[in-house]
This record gives sequence, structure tokens and C-alpha cells, in this order.
Amino acid sequence: MSANEHTLIRIPDTLPTSQRSRRPLSPTQWSLISIGSITLLWWAITASGLVPALFLPPPGDVLAKFGTLVSNGYMDATLQQHLWASLQRIVLALLAAVAVGIPLGIAIGTYPRVRHLLDPLIEFYRPLPPLAYLPLIVIWFGIGELSKVLLIFLAILAPVLIATAHGVGSVSTVRQQAALSLGASRGQLLRYVILPGALPDILTGIRIGLGAGWSTLVAAELIAATQGLGLMIQSAAQFLVTDVVVLGIIVIALVAFALELGLRRLQRRLTPWHGQTH
Amino acid sequence: MSLLQAHNLGVTYPGQASPALQHVSLQLGEGDLVVALGPSGCGKSTLLGVLAGFIAPSEGSVSFDGQPVTAPGVERAVVFQHDALLPWLNVADNVAFGLKLQGVDKARRQQVVADTLQLVGLADVGRKYTWQLSGGMRQRVGIARAIASQSKILLMDEPFGALDAFTREQMQQLLLSVWQHAGRGIFLITHDIEEALFLATELVLMSPGPGRIVQRLRPGFSQRYRDGEDVRAIKSDPDFIALREQLLRSLFAQRQAEAA
Repeated sequence: MSANEHTLIRIPDTLPTSQRSRRPLSPTQWSLISIGSITLLWWAITASGLVPALFLPPPGDVLAKFGTLVSNGYMDATLQQHLWASLQRIVLALLAAVAVGIPLGIAIGTYPRVRHLLDPLIEFYRPLPPLAYLPLIVIWFGIGELSKVLLIFLAILAPVLIATAHGVGSVSTVRQQAALSLGASRGQLLRYVILPGALPDILTGIRIGLGAGWSTLVAAELIAATQGLGLMIQSAAQFLVTDVVVLGIIVIALVAFALELGLRRLQRRLTPWHGQTH
Repeated sequence: MSLLQAHNLGVTYPGQASPALQHVSLQLGEGDLVVALGPSGCGKSTLLGVLAGFIAPSEGSVSFDGQPVTAPGVERAVVFQHDALLPWLNVADNVAFGLKLQGVDKARRQQVVADTLQLVGLADVGRKYTWQLSGGMRQRVGIARAIASQSKILLMDEPFGALDAFTREQMQQLLLSVWQHAGRGIFLITHDIEEALFLATELVLMSPGPGRIVQRLRPGFSQRYRDGEDVRAIKSDPDFIALREQLLRSLFAQRQAEAA
């Protein structure tokens, strides 16, 4: 065998092609397939009678419960009122986290000293489970709305801070130098070059932060709440009302997903250039 | 009269034994097109950084119009190889960026942008975004932005280095016509010998270790292009070829001397 034969890359005579030309499925269709399959599996398990309804209520029961909760409510409040209470807390916490996180993130990304100062603090609290410092927050700030919003705020803040600092720090040097040579002042550089350049990262931070915010909702509503989806789920769990638990989970998931889709759309509209070769 | 004067520049980066730049002096006047030619590591980017005010020299000084240069300034616009445009602005807003920073009113900005885009042959893409353009068109936008600003000279950091050979040739000719029209001094760095010879009114050949100027030429081919001579005729002229080979030999000789 000659040495040349080893260097040849064999290319098959016929490339594998699909037999029938099928229209490829759209992303939405793929998503519907996964949601449909899991619902079908859920229904099949409950319909087979292998699992008691206490452990896993059938989809039909949960749907019926939805109707009851919308009209009659649970724990002295309708589903809408629970949802509204939770949404208010999340949105308030998000606005506060953006208002604090973006300026602070810019400072961290711009000045190494600020980063060295704040980095240990952020990394200290960030990995803590909210339930771990919940007692302290209650002791310090009481059992009012402030403590609930504060807990969610802290969860959203860290991702927003870190993403903003990273975004600001990774704005192309060449782009900044070019702007300076066109006469940009420090303020103009920040406003016209650094902030728009960091925007994709900031929006990603907000998306991740919002997810973290939802995940602390139940913990936040442990604090003497009278309304809220987290409260609804906890109370139902204590009384083994599994269908309300499942319904609460689904409502949180749907609302969180809707917000996420909205943010993704915002990101595409505001930063269509992101990820393009330039 | 020379606008930009660099006197006996030296730059040593912290932790480096050999200076990145040593004993470099040069002058740039209104109608000049000074090209620094050299291999990577010869200090030409450092030199441009010092002239732009991005890098503080360890020795020597730079002055513009008699004033010492210590920071980037609006009179010295820099054109980079890539990545310097703002992708969230359309082409027209990118070109207007320098004027906007200076607080020039909108009507005036629009006038300048229209004229400048016309000059670089991009009159109909003002509303497009920079990431929707080809590499050559993006460089035209970069040049237009520097011209439209209130700069008195242009500092160009390998502006055509990322372009294919064909586009590069077109851009060289475009640069000469823009230079003629805008009447501004240009300092350009490149590692492309033909490009340097074709464009330069003054060519400085640089060599690494330490980065320094080893030869100065006044090729004069850009003047012949301005006088209407065909670009292929110029580049295949025996004088052009002889100079190109001489520079190439000189570069190789430097490299061998270094290795020895």
C-alpha cells in the first residue's frame, strides 16, 4: 500500500439523502410535540389507574380546578388575584434590580477597584439559597411586602450585575478608541458606545435574573402572604390538594415563559446586530 | 507645513527588555500620505497608537499644530482594520457620528453625510446597517466616518488588511481619490509592499527588534495615479517593480541579520 492512499479522504459515491422530500417542522411545531407528548404521558399514567390521584391528578381534574379557582378561588382569593399579587412582586423586584444592577454593573465593568471591592460581596450572597437568609430578612425588615420583594430582588440582582459588568468589560477596545479619536468625551463614550455595546449582555442578564426571581417566589411568599401563587401552592401542599399544586406550577411556568418570550423578542428588536459578523 | 510632528519616539512596554519603538521621527503635512511598511512586530501599530494618543511614549514627543499630543483628539481620526463601526447605527448615522459628538446640528450633519457617502461610492446604502455590508463596503464607511468628522488628518491602521486582493486594489484607488478630494494628510500602516509603494508620498520602512525606521523613500507613484495614469500601468512599471524587489530584499536582509 503506498503512502498516498493513507492521505486520501474517502467520499461516498452517493451522499445519503432523505427518500421523500418532507417539509421540515417549524420550531413551534417541535415545541408543541414535546408539550403534547408529556401531556399525553401524564394522561396515560393517570388513566391507567396505576398512580392515585392524590399523587398525580389527571389533566382533566386540573383543568376543572382551573375553572373553580377562577370563579370561586382558593384561600380567600381567586386565581387572578393570586397571580396579580405575585406578578406585582416580581415586576417591582425586577425594576429595582435593573435600576440598581445596571449602574452598579457599569461601575464594576469600568473601574477595576469597584470590581475588587464588590466582587467578594456578590459572590458571597449569590450562591446562598434564599431560604437560608429568609429568617434574617424577616428579622430585619419585618413580614410586610418589603421583605418579599427584597428576597426576589436579591435573586434578580446578581445575574443583572454580573451580565452588565461582563458586557461593559467586553466592549471592543478598537470601537472605543475609534470613538475617542472622533472626539468622544467619557460620558459620550459611555452613552453612545459602551452601553449599546453591552445591551445584549444586559438583556441576557435580565432574562436569567427573571428566571431566578420566579424560582424564589415560593420562598418569598412564605413570609406571611395572604395572596400569591407561591402561597397558594404551599397551602395546597399542606392540605394535600395536589391538583391546586399542579395548577399553580403550570400557571407560574406559563407566565414565566410568556415573559421570557417577550424579553427574547425585545432582545431581537433592540439588538438585531448581535451575533452578526461585523 | 507639517501638522503632525513626531520627534525621537521610543516606547518600551512594561516587562519587555527590547523597546517596541526606538528613535522614530516623522512629519505629516496637509497633502502628505506617509506609509509605514514593515513585518509584524516592527512597531508600526505602536507608532500609530502613539500618534493617535492611545499610547504614551516612553521617550520623545508628538505634537499637532504646535500643541503636544497626550490623548486621542478630534483632529486625528483613526480608521481601523475592522470592528470599529457601531453596528446599532445605520451607515448614515455611523458616518455622522463624529459630527454628532461635536454637537453639529442635524441639517448640517445630513448634508455632510450625503456628500461623504457620495465621495466613497455609498450614496444608496445610507439606511443599511453596517453588518449587512461586505467587508470592502464597511471599510468605505469607516473612511467616510473619518472624513466626515472634523479631523485634519487620518491615521489608518492596516485599513485594507482584512480584504481580498481584488477589493483591496479598488480600495487603494478609492483612498487616493478621497485623499485628493478631502485634502487631508494621511498616515497609514501596512505590511503590503505594493500597497505601500503605490499609495505613499513618503514611505518609511520599519524593522523589528527594536522597532525602528531603517529606510525612507519618496516613491511618487500616487502622484502619477492622480495625474491620470492607469493603475496597472503604474504597478507593472519597471521602476515600481525594481523598488518593490529592493524593499523585499531589504526586509529579508533585516530578518537574516536578526536571526544571525
